Amino acid sequence: MRMPSESMPSEKRSKRYNRRKFLAGSATLAGVSVAGCLGGGGGDSDSIKVGFVLPFSGTYSFLGESIVNGVKLRLDQQLGGEIDGKTVEYVRQDTGADPATGASITQEFLQSENVDFIVGPVSSAVASAMKPEIASSGSAIWLNANAGNYKLVEDSCTQYHFRTSFNTWQTSAPLASYVNDNIADNVVLSYANYTFGQQSKNLFREEFESTGGTVVDEIGAPLGTSDYSSFLQEIENSGADAVFSFFAGSDAVNYINQFSSFGLNESMTQTGSGFLLSADTLAAQGTSATGMYSLLHYTPTKQTDRNQAFVDAYSEQYDMTPNVYACQGYDSGLAAEMAINEADGTDTDSRVSALAGQELDSPRGYFRFKSETHDPVMDMDIREVVETDDGVQNEVVETLSRVEGPTWGCSL
Amino acid sequence: MVLEGVARTALLGIEMGMTLVLITVGLTLIFGMMDVINFAHGSLYMLGAYFGLAIVSVTGNWWAALLLAPLLVGLLGGMIEYFSIRPLYGRNPLYHILLTFGFAIMLHGLVTEIWGGQVQNIATPAVLEGSVDLVLFSYPLFRLFLLGVSVVVTLALWIAIRRSDFGIVMRASAHDSEMVGALGTDVNRVFTAVFILGAVLAGLAGVLLGTARAVDPGMAASVIIQAFAIVVIGGMGSYRGAVVGAFIVGMLNAFGPMFAPEFTDALLYLLMAAVLLVKPAGLFGNPEAA
Repeated sequence: MRMPSESMPSEKRSKRYNRRKFLAGSATLAGVSVAGCLGGGGGDSDSIKVGFVLPFSGTYSFLGESIVNGVKLRLDQQLGGEIDGKTVEYVRQDTGADPATGASITQEFLQSENVDFIVGPVSSAVASAMKPEIASSGSAIWLNANAGNYKLVEDSCTQYHFRTSFNTWQTSAPLASYVNDNIADNVVLSYANYTFGQQSKNLFREEFESTGGTVVDEIGAPLGTSDYSSFLQEIENSGADAVFSFFAGSDAVNYINQFSSFGLNESMTQTGSGFLLSADTLAAQGTSATGMYSLLHYTPTKQTDRNQAFVDAYSEQYDMTPNVYACQGYDSGLAAEMAINEADGTDTDSRVSALAGQELDSPRGYFRFKSETHDPVMDMDIREVVETDDGVQNEVVETLSRVEGPTWGCSL
Repeated sequence: MVLEGVARTALLGIEMGMTLVLITVGLTLIFGMMDVINFAHGSLYMLGAYFGLAIVSVTGNWWAALLLAPLLVGLLGGMIEYFSIRPLYGRNPLYHILLTFGFAIMLHGLVTEIWGGQVQNIATPAVLEGSVDLVLFSYPLFRLFLLGVSVVVTLALWIAIRRSDFGIVMRASAHDSEMVGALGTDVNRVFTAVFILGAVLAGLAGVLLGTARAVDPGMAASVIIQAFAIVVIGGMGSYRGAVVGAFIVGMLNAFGPMFAPEFTDALLYLLMAAVLLVKPAGLFGNPEAA
């Protein structure tokens, strides 16, 4: 079964009835008419157009909003809505969680809107559907602000694709040697049984075994499981000293809370991809999460001046602390700025070559677009959940410097 | 080791099943009496969780939430029934489906607008934290509490439906509401009362499960699918069917991952299909009514 919340009412209903969708629709209409007035339909030299292909309804709407917030913080608040003297304009449409919708929005943005940048999507399935449109059009830079599937690079990579987020390898494999050195030499894997979860556990497993560790067992639970107790029993029965997991969102909350309420945290150490224990889920996980380790490219509590400046600016603007998605949005804003400012010409190809290999001043730490893949080379944080006066938080215990990952045969 | 594992899984199954009863009973009673398929039932469950969340954050008292949130949901459910469903009684069931589906959409939007889309959780009260040693294994105290409350409510309802005057009127109305009306009982008031009862139970489940699990706007849709499956398996409109169906599904949820972790969800639908093939009206459904 697919995640019920995606396939059942929420998605279908929101297509027609969601207020944001309606607003987004009217914004698009307004965008079209403005472009029409300017004559020639966008792409003119006076403005830069950014198209958001993101979920604004359903399960992932919060992620979509966070990404938009991040982009706008850079381009509107910090740059005053202008890059290189050109006004920044936005169009946005709701993908829900539907790949076909994502593809058709992308097509519309490329052909009718003449966007310069496409920012999105959240889901890797949507990204796979968007890729052929963007590759064949070649008229816009794709700032992939969340879809981590490494196959986007492995299967016929395109130079227009720049990942301002991460790939699945980066959020799983680099943790393996840390676990083997500091926690345990044997693990059991538990994961949400869909593409992302499977990739994460496979990539971790590969790396963990190559560092000499043993994977005792692996247990997949359907996406959207609300009660993990039976799976937890299997995990406990494996007898492993540590667990590596991939779960996200409400799955992560249910899994972690039940893991601790059944006392598994007393006999095994929980580790995982950073989405398991992120700023979005920690409030709901509370002390259940204490003492658990995870790996992610952005940690809001990271003690650097660069990050503090970002957190302050974001909190002031939106009245909440930024999450990893907001950071990815912000970095997409930085990338758009960089592509315009560094390019010799105003055409997409010269922007692409200007952006490849470029470093960004990202809140997450070091960030560079790898020339071969346009995936990020970046610092990754290993964090431990600790109790503080402000509730439970991630504390960075080690920063892995300039994590690259494989190129999967891509050489741009 | 094996005995211990099986015993614990069985307890898990009972617990999952009994908590599902709270959600399913309202759905099946409302259908049985009024022929209304209530798509908004999952949303009432969700509202129970969010009301609970709000009450805990204001008062800091979980027990207040456990008491008040279901009543608020009941009040809202009563208003929904009185103002929107009542005028549609006797019409084609499609009207009710469209109407309640509309409510599900609106409530989802409203909750996202007010509380946001991020995942939250109602904090477990301190007295119910920790585990209990049950000789063979230890079990989280809150889950035992969940089980206890569900069993007590299920039994109390059972007795009420069987023994009380209101229960008799309820069953009579389900059988032939016109005749009950002709005998001088205001059937519409009975309907409203049953709808409120179903809403209160869904709200109660919302607070309890919102504490044991994550609270997010997607919770309505994920629970309503299982609840409908249980109603179909048990027989639409049958209280006994809802209890037995929930129990079976609970066991399936508990033992499924041990034998076929990949197919836990598929098993539910296979079971549903099998029951429908053998007994089209469900295990305890009334074949004549179908």
